[in-house]
Amino acid sequence: MKLRPKQPSSNLLDVDITGMIDVVFLLIIFFMTTAQFARMTRADIDLPQEAGEELDSQMSAGIIVNIAEDGSIIVEQQVIDLNRLVRKVAAEVALAGDDASNVELTVRADRNLSAGVLNDIARGLAEAGLRGVRLATEPPRGGGS
Amino acid sequence: MKFRANTAPRSVVNRLQVTSMIDVIFLLLIFFMATTTFSQPEAHLTPGLKEQRAAGRASDLEPQIVDVVRDGDRDVFRLGARVLIDKASLVAALRELPLEPGVFVRVSDDVRVESAAAAVQACRDAGFEKVSYVPAS
Repeated sequence: MKLRPKQPSSNLLDVDITGMIDVVFLLIIFFMTTAQFARMTRADIDLPQEAGEELDSQMSAGIIVNIAEDGSIIVEQQVIDLNRLVRKVAAEVALAGDDASNVELTVRADRNLSAGVLNDIARGLAEAGLRGVRLATEPPRGGGS
Repeated sequence: MKFRANTAPRSVVNRLQVTSMIDVIFLLLIFFMATTTFSQPEAHLTPGLKEQRAAGRASDLEPQIVDVVRDGDRDVFRLGARVLIDKASLVAALRELPLEPGVFVRVSDDVRVESAAAAVQACRDAGFEKVSYVPAS
């Protein structure tokens, strides 16, 4: 009588790595999405070094208007002129039921930019119906103001 | 003689070779971690927007006004007749004023954005809740 020889057991350890793979996938998705969003909304701007205000709650950034040192206006990676920006903001205000307080807008202006450009944009935004603007700053390193 | 019945199903999961997949996933993870540049946290200043109209009502610019103007090769802050050259002295001067009427920051075209932001920040630091940004005409 011939018995079937016993199969050698595998040298591989039976480690349950399902949880680890889940976490690793989550990390990959996190890094991929955050990197993409940062590229889409924030241009490389040297912001004014100010501590800013303590806002009550985490508000959405809304429309992000980047103004480079050369005065070019960049919205969603596209260089646009002031008239187009004003039309875009006016459309957002109309979409919000003509209530400008529902439209969030953040201006990220280069610290060395001439304020004349910022003034033109402020006039355009006021013309579009906005009554306030959020000016992005970079808190100084070390926490001082 | 009694042989053990070979009825226990062999686990399919145990034979799944995921080593290559894990290698690739770790490579991807390391790639994204190495190439990601975390952006600096940003703060915000939230002034109101006002337009200065030539034919506006006299009360349009009734509150206290901080003028940010160019003086030679530097930006200065003017509060009434006082000329202040830095943010700290502007904050000290603003603290002497009543908070209730609010303050307008009127910015000339020829100053830098950094000075305009410093003026708004000084108003906030001095305790003003109503701060408005006014482009100088």
